[in-house]
Amino acid sequence: MLSAKDLALDYRTGGSVAHAVDTVSLNVGRGSFVGLVGPSGSGKSSLMYLLSGLKRPSRGAVSFEDRDYANLSGAGLMRLRRRRFGFVFQQHFLVNYLSAFENVMVGAVERDHDTAAYAQALLHRVGLGDKLMKRPYQLSIGERQRVAVARALVHRPAVVFADEPTASLDQATGHEVVNLLADYRRSGGGSLLVVTHDPAMLSDADRVLQMRDGRLMAA
Amino acid sequence: MTNPLSLWNFYFRNKRKVLPVIGILALAILGVVVTDSLLASARETAYATFGSYQKLILVAPRATRDQDLANPLQDSLTRLHDVQLQVDTLDGPGGITSYYNAVVALPAQVRAQLPAVQRLQVDSANARYYAGRLRGDLVPLGDLIVRVQRLQSEQQAFNQLVTQLTQNPNDPRPLITYLQQHQTFLRSVLPDSAQLGRLQLAVTSASADANGLQQSLQAMNRDTANLNSAGQNVANLPLPPSPSATIDRFRSALDRLTASLGSIEQPQPGLDKLLADSAHIPGTALVKRDAYSNLDINLLAGNAQFDLYGIDQPGMTQLLTLYGDRVVAGRLPRQNASEIAVSEEIARARHVSVGSKLGNNVDELDRLPDAFTVVGIIGGPTRLGVIPLDYMTEHYLFERRYQGLIVIPQAGHAQTVHDELQRLVGDQAFRLFDWPYIKAKIDSLIANLDSINRFLILLVTLVLSLVVGLLNNLFFRQRMNEFGLLAAVGYSRWGLIRRVALESFGVTLAAWLLGVGIAVAVLSWFNTVFMVPHGLLMNVFDWNVLALHTLPIPLMVFLFGMGTVGWQLLRLDPISIIERRD
Repeated sequence: MLSAKDLALDYRTGGSVAHAVDTVSLNVGRGSFVGLVGPSGSGKSSLMYLLSGLKRPSRGAVSFEDRDYANLSGAGLMRLRRRRFGFVFQQHFLVNYLSAFENVMVGAVERDHDTAAYAQALLHRVGLGDKLMKRPYQLSIGERQRVAVARALVHRPAVVFADEPTASLDQATGHEVVNLLADYRRSGGGSLLVVTHDPAMLSDADRVLQMRDGRLMAA
Repeated sequence: MTNPLSLWNFYFRNKRKVLPVIGILALAILGVVVTDSLLASARETAYATFGSYQKLILVAPRATRDQDLANPLQDSLTRLHDVQLQVDTLDGPGGITSYYNAVVALPAQVRAQLPAVQRLQVDSANARYYAGRLRGDLVPLGDLIVRVQRLQSEQQAFNQLVTQLTQNPNDPRPLITYLQQHQTFLRSVLPDSAQLGRLQLAVTSASADANGLQQSLQAMNRDTANLNSAGQNVANLPLPPSPSATIDRFRSALDRLTASLGSIEQPQPGLDKLLADSAHIPGTALVKRDAYSNLDINLLAGNAQFDLYGIDQPGMTQLLTLYGDRVVAGRLPRQNASEIAVSEEIARARHVSVGSKLGNNVDELDRLPDAFTVVGIIGGPTRLGVIPLDYMTEHYLFERRYQGLIVIPQAGHAQTVHDELQRLVGDQAFRLFDWPYIKAKIDSLIANLDSINRFLILLVTLVLSLVVGLLNNLFFRQRMNEFGLLAAVGYSRWGLIRRVALESFGVTLAAWLLGVGIAVAVLSWFNTVFMVPHGLLMNVFDWNVLALHTLPIPLMVFLFGMGTVGWQLLRLDPISIIERRD
């Protein structure tokens, strides 16, 4: 479903070239849970940006459902991210002046009653059923991240990209958040690509890929 | 289900940040509307104040009354000195007194035999009496002429000051210099101006006494001739030589003074012919003799002189009919009375009603002598003020020299009548005042203030654009996470720009509506409590001011704010925000 072939991302600083991603090929099958681990600066986040269309590769190709990103315009890539992908980042990036429910609805593509009901159900599922109308500053950090998870899932994405979703959380809360994402995958919602530096979070993953110096290593 | 990113959500949830911006902009718009409306009001009030010129042409003496009278007054003063010298001679050795004493000293039997001697004694006593009175008359007359001359020179200095202040209103130095140099005069100006009207009385009194003296002297001449012929029969009559040569010199000097003073009382040269010729200009409806005066009134943009028409009684009625005005209280001034009727707006501006007084004695800036009683209030579309021509010309020397004409053209003939009048006036000491001239003067005055106002509006707009633009940027930076996330999850860049544009547009639109709304309320209140009671015009709903003049502020603020924020949104890299660890 999501595949990359010989992907590379170079950063040019002055006369030197840094290879953030260096000739990486991989496939993420429908409904699979792929974990990406590695030390800081290994290129795992860069790889996720390339796979999600947030960045264009220096070389190589990425395709989703057999559509090559190279053939998609910037607007096309945006539409893809908006409709088919879900994102969870290390920070929650909730909109301060909106309630938890409204923040979830920011991720919705359709804003009808069904979606609203689904958003509320998601918040119930992440344990925030009684805090629908709370503002981000009224929630704990873990609760905020759970709202961010609900926001990433509300439009039922085909792939959820999670970039260090547990980095700012304690171990237990981190597990909770990853479990929420895993539940979505298990319930047939879509694939999951989780970037983390903590392999313990990937106990449910189908595959765990190790990255080092921009390259994929055997896990 | 509403959009959580709707504008309403944004405004309502961010009201503490949005409302101050709306408040600042609304206040600026209020300021612009108020200053603009006051300027427009000044212009409209000035138009209304001089609105009578829309239907008439004023033919006024080219010289001011002061310049006009300067030469005759100077001449009169010189003549007066001559007369004083001659009076001294007349009264001195070899003059009337010594002659009188010699006549009195004649032996009684000689006087009894000579009736001519007795008559001479009586007539010389009369002459002595009149000469004494005339000397008394000449002292205040001379003093008055000197005062008039002083007033003229002060008037010139004042005019020069006004010109300097008009050219450079922000420079107070000419005013300070003037006040320092002329403070002594300013302290005495009121009594001086009050005495101007008495000049004619002094002249009349001096003329009467001079006439008495002349008659006495003529009788003395006859007596002396009789005595001389009779004296041939009386030996060794101890009479001094006849003072007839001294008397003749005095008479000549007195004649010259009378002629000089008389020239002050003469009407404006050439006026009678101009009056007759003007009446024959094709397209002329009416020509009236006019004794010009004016009242000082406040027009917001500064004080101005409201022109009064000094015309005869039929002319007053004709003027009111011409302008569609009517007397709403009291009546029109009576013939040869110190009375005035003015429009209600002028009455309000000067806080007068029927029975009140107007004039130089009440307000020193009025060019209406003494104090005139308000006997009528005029209502209608055009502001008018009328005073009786005959009272002005019979009671004030100046008005005889400072007369003009009111020429009323028929509808559609204003230009042709103006041109023909101009041809008639030619190089004579008259000039024409018509509506295009007056309007140009008003526009010129307002244009200066308008330029300052526009500059201030430009400055306010620029400063506000900068301030609100910076606030916008600050606010935008606080929301950088929001925009970074939205861009990352697939919200289009232009969609975000459109959203921010709508947010800014809403804020500026709300500020504009609020500012204009408050301005209308403030102006309505100000109009009721100040403008109307002072006879000033204000159009509260001047859409030119409310809409066109205020729009640059929200427009510039919007463009500047959107320009900077839009530029940042275009260059926004969501990854740099996602990767930020703060």
